[in-house]
Amino acid sequence: MMTWPRLKLVRTRLTLWYVLFLAAFFVVFIAGASFVIVRHMGTQLKRQAVQDLETVEGLLYFNGGQQLRFNEEYHNHPESKLVQDRLLEVLSLDGTILYRNDRLGMRTIGGAPFTGEGVGGYSERSIRASDGTAVILASRQHSLDGHTILIRLAYSQQPIWDHLKEFLMIVLLALPLTLTAAAVAGYVMADRALDPIGQMAQRAEQITTERLHDRLPVESNDELGHLARVFNQMLSRIEQSFEQLRRFTADASHELRTPLASIRSVGEVGLQKDASPEEYRDIIGSMLEEINRLTSLIDSLLTLSRADAGQIPMKLEVFPVAEIMEEAASLLDVLIEEKRLTFSFEGEKNALVRGDRLILRQAAVNILHNAVKFTPAGGSISARVRCEGSGILLSITDDGPGIPTEHLAKVFDRFYRVDASRSGENKGAGLGLSIAQWAARAHDGEIGLSTAPEGGCTFWIRLPLASSNPAG
Amino acid sequence: MQILVVEDEKKLAGALQKGLEAEKYLVRVVHTGEEAFFLVSTEHFDLLLLDIMLPGRDGLDILKALRQKDFALPVLILTSKDAVEDRVRGLKAGADDYLVKPFAFPELLARVEAIARRSKRAEEPPTMKLADLEMDVLRHSASREGHELMLTSREFELLEYLLRHQGRVVSREMLARDVWNETGRFTPLDNVIDVHIAHLRQKLDEPFGKKLLHTVRGVGFVLREET
Repeated sequence: MMTWPRLKLVRTRLTLWYVLFLAAFFVVFIAGASFVIVRHMGTQLKRQAVQDLETVEGLLYFNGGQQLRFNEEYHNHPESKLVQDRLLEVLSLDGTILYRNDRLGMRTIGGAPFTGEGVGGYSERSIRASDGTAVILASRQHSLDGHTILIRLAYSQQPIWDHLKEFLMIVLLALPLTLTAAAVAGYVMADRALDPIGQMAQRAEQITTERLHDRLPVESNDELGHLARVFNQMLSRIEQSFEQLRRFTADASHELRTPLASIRSVGEVGLQKDASPEEYRDIIGSMLEEINRLTSLIDSLLTLSRADAGQIPMKLEVFPVAEIMEEAASLLDVLIEEKRLTFSFEGEKNALVRGDRLILRQAAVNILHNAVKFTPAGGSISARVRCEGSGILLSITDDGPGIPTEHLAKVFDRFYRVDASRSGENKGAGLGLSIAQWAARAHDGEIGLSTAPEGGCTFWIRLPLASSNPAG
Repeated sequence: MQILVVEDEKKLAGALQKGLEAEKYLVRVVHTGEEAFFLVSTEHFDLLLLDIMLPGRDGLDILKALRQKDFALPVLILTSKDAVEDRVRGLKAGADDYLVKPFAFPELLARVEAIARRSKRAEEPPTMKLADLEMDVLRHSASREGHELMLTSREFELLEYLLRHQGRVVSREMLARDVWNETGRFTPLDNVIDVHIAHLRQKLDEPFGKKLLHTVRGVGFVLREET
């Protein structure tokens, strides 16, 4: 199956990103921590150097030969001396070295004293000793037995770097381990999170056109539950469309079969015995009539199927909706006269609508034709155009027998006829109102009908009112 | 006038041949595009009736090839593809007109005549005559036996159309399209047309002895002098 590698890929991608972000975070963290360590230890060394200055001051003395000495007898244990890693240098102000401790040996730190070095508290700097060792140096001038001496005390910066190195070593050792652990955990987590999708896909694969009633299980209220619900809703819509299609196909084949049956019977019966040319003419004519009916039925079906597929291009224009009503009435006026019907039309003649004139007129013609068909001779039909808020209501009311309420919902269904037995008489295919409904909906409108208890019914189409005037 | 019919459906091809020959056209029938291409290249035809859906090279292919070779003969396309884009493609490929199957035979005849007329550049005469029926289109008057007929404008247009096609059967679709100017094929005009025909018949035929307007059941109407 092709779905699995793809899913695995999502997992891998998630994990990779996760690890990458974690690594980036670690790098920033390590850099920050290193900076803090270096700074902190530097500060500590300085403080230690300054404190040590105090101690050293007290331990310096001149011996009899006016030589500077350092009293190291304060240690309780002589070996403690060795732990001390201070570097000590004492100079006279002219730069003569008066004393160097053992650890400093023959090196010098800081070179010749500069003006103001160690005056007022202490001077402090980071420099390199004569052998290149990086040190932190604190110096102070001090009066001892009438001499002014410059005490320089330094600590090597090496411990800072040693410390840092140690820290980095630990971290770098731990980092790959941590990242690997995170990657594994991330992968497992992604795997778990995506697992329901795999299950859903598997389940969805089993849902075929024959088993459209199946639904995905909705197990949770989270995003995946949402996905499952959306998917189920989509399935419901598809199932509904399929059901519609199935019914439509069944109805259509029934409708096609009826004229075919007539053609066949008329032809077969016609051939049973010899007939006069006039009789044959009649037989063929009768067959042709049925063929015409078949043709127009198929035309209507094609129109509807193209409408369903949204393949009918609309030529939009803005025009007064009353015009289509007037055109429909003038087209059908012979039929109205023929049945001695009274037709009246009133309403707002200037209410504008934006749409395809031909398609909307078709809707008006179909509805009016329907009314003419079902209104008994001598009855009356009235049409109105009314503005209602942001819409236009186009209505056609007849005083015919009306439509029983149980049929109201189905009147716009394809092939639906209120009185099935009358279909032969009226010769309609039961598609006119479906086409009108499509026309209304294609213009963001609605179609409907209401029927009064005392008889008569009103078909209405509501269309959005066009706001702009037709550009002249 | 020599017509080449290219139609792979043998029954339809045969019917077309018979029907057109009955109207005094010379008809050749072939069933494939290749044959049609060969015949058009070697012989003279005044009109090509071309089916789109053919085995092998389809009608549009043939048409394009013919137009590329500068064959200017008029072409009437027969198609069951009732989609606008197919018509557009047909006309773009160089067709003069098209008919959607299933078409009514009178309709086909009318188109063929129109194409024949176009090549002859015949003007529509302003006055017409059939037996004792006379019509002057410019003066908007029609009379029988010298008696003026009081026609509504729709009835007049209807009579004019029938008179122009006198002797030929006119289908309801033709009337809907050419007299009512209804292009939508589903507008339910059949009843309307029938009622108008009935009204016209009342004024045209009833007061006079000889009937001119006849209904051909299942096909349409014809204006002619019965012998």
